Amino acid sequence: MKYLALIVPVLFAAVFLYAAVKKVKLYDAFTTGIKGAIPLIVSVFPYVAAILMLSELFEASGFSATLTRALAPVFRVLGIPEELSKLVLVKPFSGSGATALLSEILNAYGADSYIGRCACVCYGSSETVFYISAVYFANVKQKKLFKPVCIALFANFATIIVGCQLCKLF
Amino acid sequence: MNGIFAVVFLLSAALCLFLDPDAFLPALLSGGQKAAALSLSLLAVYCVWLGFFQVLEESGLAGKLSRALHPFSRRLFRSDDREATYLATSNLTANLLGLPGAPTPLGIKAVEKFCAAGNRYAADMLFVLNATSLQLLPTTVIALRVAAGSASAYDILPPTLIATLLSTLIGVLLVKLTAKRRKK
Repeated sequence: MKYLALIVPVLFAAVFLYAAVKKVKLYDAFTTGIKGAIPLIVSVFPYVAAILMLSELFEASGFSATLTRALAPVFRVLGIPEELSKLVLVKPFSGSGATALLSEILNAYGADSYIGRCACVCYGSSETVFYISAVYFANVKQKKLFKPVCIALFANFATIIVGCQLCKLF
Repeated sequence: MNGIFAVVFLLSAALCLFLDPDAFLPALLSGGQKAAALSLSLLAVYCVWLGFFQVLEESGLAGKLSRALHPFSRRLFRSDDREATYLATSNLTANLLGLPGAPTPLGIKAVEKFCAAGNRYAADMLFVLNATSLQLLPTTVIALRVAAGSASAYDILPPTLIATLLSTLIGVLLVKLTAKRRKK
């Protein structure tokens, strides 16, 4: 997988070289681009902060644990191992939280166990839906996020169910 | 989002009152702290990529790419806005290549442009594509598996790829199905 490390440097070098040949003022262009980073982060910040506070509260209040217990039987019926229910619930809110959970699961059950492999597929095939919705729509006045967020959550959840079955095949 | 936020927040707060009132403020503060720390590292990432994208644009390569990809992106996003579809397809490309952090600034701008033009369909489509995971190589998962002593860290690639593809397909289909018919 070493060639993957080459993508970024090759991309930068190739584009900068091409730009230099086309007589672009590289330093000026690069700094003009960077100027946009501060307004971008300022516009995204309130939404990131709100979502992260919500996810911390979700965890610390015991809401997430209660929901995990309540949903474990439902998950079992759908073929999702109980041990993964917390991961499934946390992933839409917080990427770092889900990463920590995945690492816990892998260490507890073993990376090559069925539970471990299922956890990897769940983690790898879903996304932090709430976080992404917060960031991507940061600059939009009329949010109306309910429909797209529901679609994304449903697609991710359906895939987790299928993913757990796929892990039995592969 | 206001509804989801209100429900999750209020239920969590209510549970806090019963179970552990002392945990309330520390939880919020820790969320704020994480947001501050994350924003700093995101700022660094945006600096790198926005600088790079500006060079890409001024070199004229961005324009060439957008012309080449336009037939595809016009159909996917139902939009004739060259600039917005260019941002959106670049966002997808950066996702597929797994360039860490690069898709976000492109995605934010594309969604902003789509919504400003009243093309909610395109904005939803781009969001759902991003929120159903497009990554070809789940680098984090593989790194964690290696760290946990996996004998075959890459074993989960086929099921993960199939699952990712499936979730993206479901998402795209649902966006298409729930979209209002385009006015002729």
